[in-house]
Amino acid sequence: MVEQRKSEESGDAAVSSLFRKLATEWKLHLVVVVLVIVSELIYIREIPLGPGIILLLPLLYAFILGGLLNPNVIRRSVGGLVRSREVRAASPYIVIAVMPLIAKFGTLVGPSMKTIIEAGPALILQELGNVGTVLFAFPVAVFLLRMGREVIGAAHSIAREPNVALISDKYGLTSKEGTGVMGVYITGTLFGTIFFAIMASLLGSLNLFHPYALGMACGIGSASMMAACTGSLANIFPQMEEQIVAFAGASNILTYGNGLYISLFVTIPICEFLYRRFGREEPEPASTTEGGAAR
Amino acid sequence: MTQAEAERPTINLLDHVILLVIVLAIALIGNFVGPDIPILDALPGMFILYVITMVGLVVTKYAPFYLPSIAWISLVAMLVTLPWIPGQEWLGGHLEKVDFLALATPVLAYAGLAITRNEVDTFAKSGWKIVVVALLVFLGSYVSSAAVAQVVLTLQGEI
Repeated sequence: MVEQRKSEESGDAAVSSLFRKLATEWKLHLVVVVLVIVSELIYIREIPLGPGIILLLPLLYAFILGGLLNPNVIRRSVGGLVRSREVRAASPYIVIAVMPLIAKFGTLVGPSMKTIIEAGPALILQELGNVGTVLFAFPVAVFLLRMGREVIGAAHSIAREPNVALISDKYGLTSKEGTGVMGVYITGTLFGTIFFAIMASLLGSLNLFHPYALGMACGIGSASMMAACTGSLANIFPQMEEQIVAFAGASNILTYGNGLYISLFVTIPICEFLYRRFGREEPEPASTTEGGAAR
Repeated sequence: MTQAEAERPTINLLDHVILLVIVLAIALIGNFVGPDIPILDALPGMFILYVITMVGLVVTKYAPFYLPSIAWISLVAMLVTLPWIPGQEWLGGHLEKVDFLALATPVLAYAGLAITRNEVDTFAKSGWKIVVVALLVFLGSYVSSAAVAQVVLTLQGEI
């Protein structure tokens, strides 16, 4: 409250600090402009793979090229063009740039509201697909990979921000469960978009599921995962683009609303139950002390 | 939920007024280069998205209860384009000129540039097992959501 009043009183100071910020950040935006132009010039490419296809989208090139220029990823990135100052400045712009994308998805949901309401039961029930997450990942993690309590953090959800916050609240991020959820979160941040594009284009071209069903399933992750996923499907089924995108957008909105509760009341308890029955026995204290000094 | 209440972030509306223009201008260029939509044709649609986003942010800041800005922006965007709302066809006509993938390209460019040393280290430390599990999680959620949707849509006779 106090902070808010302060910022309103000093309007002039706010403006000048904004311009100072812009003056130090112009190089970042210039790099992004170049990345966007290069990526859009390459545009959408299809790679045949067995019976299916993989679609490569401009957003994937933009991410990979951005990573290649990033000194945290490639130590000697091209000519030192991007330095840690740019890296630090870039992070808030992910959130800002995602806002109009979300707005665009919303405007594709609105006009199809009638169709969405008709498909309501499917949309709502597919949110429970999260339970399938556990059934897929848990057995492999515990029986094949011999993973410990990390599995509870890792296998309970697709690990976007709300799920990370929940695990952090319940177990702490330095616990084994925290390590698990962070591992999946980071993997999602680094490879989620690419993986979703590949998965959607393969499943779409294999004709196992109806494009509407695949569209709804596109809404389970982050906005960029959804964009990659629906972008791939829309290119395979251009005549159904409108419905695919509307269903994905609607499912994504539902996921914001209930994802946290499904984790809290359904999938975490299932993971805990399964782990008690099938998990490795391990000495209690190991789960809390390890990594305690990391933060 | 309790924690969402506690973490209501302060939104600097003035900053967003300018910073959104930057990201939308970049998207406008991409929308021309890739999907080949002339800049002037797409300009009204970009402006509509700008207004929707700003309205969503204002609501986030002043609403009596907290929802993340992304949720408010979605709701505003959905509301103004409902088929029963006057003028929604006019909005739709302009919004059609903005390709959603062109809006996503700058997001991912910033995201690639924003990867931190900490993220790279955490990833390296997590080990290959977590990566395998993560990919199974993505595959599992996607396939099972699609499977449930497929069954229910078939039962409903929608497909």
